[in-house]
Amino acid sequence: MARRDGIAALVLGLVAGAVIHQAAALPFGGARNPGPGFVPWWAGVALAGLSLLLAGLSLLLGVQVVRARRGPGARRGVEAARGDWRRVAALLAALALYVVALDPLGYPISTFLLVLLMLRPATRRALVPALGLAVLAAGGSYVLFAVWLQVPLPPGALLR
Amino acid sequence: MEILSLLAHGFAIALTPTNLTYCFLGSFIGTAIGVLPGLGPPATIALLLPITYGIPPTSAVILLAGIFYGAMYGGSTTSILLNIPGEAASVVTCLDGYQMARQGRAGAALAVSAVGSFIAGTVSVVGLMLLAPPLAAFALRFGAPEYFALLVLGLMMVGYLGGGSMTKGLMMAVLGLLLGMVGLDPIMGSPRFTYGVFKLAEGFEFVLVAMGLFGIGEVLVNVERRVAPEVLKTQIRGLLASREEWRAASLPLARGSLLGFFVGVLPGGGAIISSFVAYAVEKKLSRHPERFGRGAIEGVAGPESANNAAATSSFVPLLTLGIPGNASIALIFAALLIHGIRPGPLLVSEQPAVFWGLIASMYIGNVMLLILNFPLIRLWVRLLEVPYRILAPLIVVFVLVGAYSVNNSVFDVGTTVVFGALGYALRKLDFEPAPLVLAMILGPQLEAALRRSLIYSHGDLLVFFQRPIAATLMALAVLVLLSPVLRWGLERKLRELVEPVAPRD
Repeated sequence: MARRDGIAALVLGLVAGAVIHQAAALPFGGARNPGPGFVPWWAGVALAGLSLLLAGLSLLLGVQVVRARRGPGARRGVEAARGDWRRVAALLAALALYVVALDPLGYPISTFLLVLLMLRPATRRALVPALGLAVLAAGGSYVLFAVWLQVPLPPGALLR
Repeated sequence: MEILSLLAHGFAIALTPTNLTYCFLGSFIGTAIGVLPGLGPPATIALLLPITYGIPPTSAVILLAGIFYGAMYGGSTTSILLNIPGEAASVVTCLDGYQMARQGRAGAALAVSAVGSFIAGTVSVVGLMLLAPPLAAFALRFGAPEYFALLVLGLMMVGYLGGGSMTKGLMMAVLGLLLGMVGLDPIMGSPRFTYGVFKLAEGFEFVLVAMGLFGIGEVLVNVERRVAPEVLKTQIRGLLASREEWRAASLPLARGSLLGFFVGVLPGGGAIISSFVAYAVEKKLSRHPERFGRGAIEGVAGPESANNAAATSSFVPLLTLGIPGNASIALIFAALLIHGIRPGPLLVSEQPAVFWGLIASMYIGNVMLLILNFPLIRLWVRLLEVPYRILAPLIVVFVLVGAYSVNNSVFDVGTTVVFGALGYALRKLDFEPAPLVLAMILGPQLEAALRRSLIYSHGDLLVFFQRPIAATLMALAVLVLLSPVLRWGLERKLRELVEPVAPRD
């Protein structure tokens, strides 16, 4: 918890620094006639201040955590909370590929592949229902949005 | 009398076949997503927002509102039968509801929850109907300084009541304000933070941000955890509680309804906090507090009525002041904006069809939900058997196609995926995305109100403290900001007072 807060404080502190830097390049004006940079600059300063506060609190919490870890069972609790980040990374990679492939491959094919990838059929027996669901999801959503709601989804080479 | 004729006009609008269908659809979808863990109302409303573009504004808001309050009904089912809250506002129902189910009293718990939700929802609609018009009339007196002070107070409340650390809540609010500043400056029209990207000149589309944070973000979190719920193998006998159980539940139902209504009106208050407060109140007032957590019916009746009342009353700040109090309401705000309707003090007088149509649909929706939740309980339980690995791709497909349909642009799909990754990262770092979304939608109004106030006062910051309404609102905002420090100081003082009299070894 303390470590995660520290990371968050660092990242958001960097964001605040970038915002202050960018806002300083915009016309600032003054209190009588605030320019476009006025509010972003102050918002950046507020974010920097809050990041510092969070960093301070995480340091304080870190000391308490170190003390608490001397107790039994603390480590086990931390490990139990962890999930499988590889599934998240794989899904994000698949989504990034989907965005790239959407125009050239078209909506039906790229959506079919994405759903199939997400279902990850491990055995031949699981392949048929996965294929069926992928066809249903891609085809059904295409009919709903492109045909019924008239959204011009990219058709790709197959339907062009 | 005038209010009754306006309500009759609202019923004439809500009872048309089209609006009745949307009301039913909203209630039905709301109950379903309330039952399903891992898909909350903000994600569902974000998913369905693009579909509402083509329907009339009154129908759109009836549908989306139905999803929101319908989810409160459905959320209790999983809490009682699975010990898994389908909806965050039903977390506290797990404590006694699940224990009741284990003792074979699942039917009584579900009945008290459904009837309590109906009573609380109806009481809250009456409150909303009576409170909203005078509050909107009062808000018409607001100038830029009052409006700025109100927005500051709203954001402070969201940071304070939004769950978790106030520092983190405020950080999310500031980040949301900054995201809302991307694009053209609201007063001079000069570009900010666009980095030469033409698409960014229009700013981030709020719907895409919400779909990414709540839709993709939630899927990523659930994919990582892989939830595998198991329905408690219990007999749902007799869907009516005994006379003793109704007697024990009646006062908690009444208290929960009133408490939920008032907590729900506060920005950031909403259904989650009201359910926790109602539980604490019931335990405090009970002659047998030791029964709480072991299947006390009061522990189900109080929170369940409170969360439903709060869900309805959270429409008060939206419809009267134009301030959304939580993420779902912010999305309904966005839906109204898309249809060219600005929620705020003028809504009641300028758009009576939307306002009174919505109010009337809430009465109808509550009746529909009672019917949906009583006899169809077994259907909702069956819904829980759909594995998340099948549900997740369907949610993702709906988000992606919805994102594309906003502007028919692949860039928007990419933006949604990026905000999905951000939503996941925020949850992993224990940040609530709701304050970000609210601040993003309120950011341009807040900036415009601040700059207009300063121009009007020739740069005098005292303008926020010299006008009575603005000063009161600012004082409340400062109080909320300082509340963690004040609470810490008070606790320390109390400890010092108690320690000297404590017995020593």
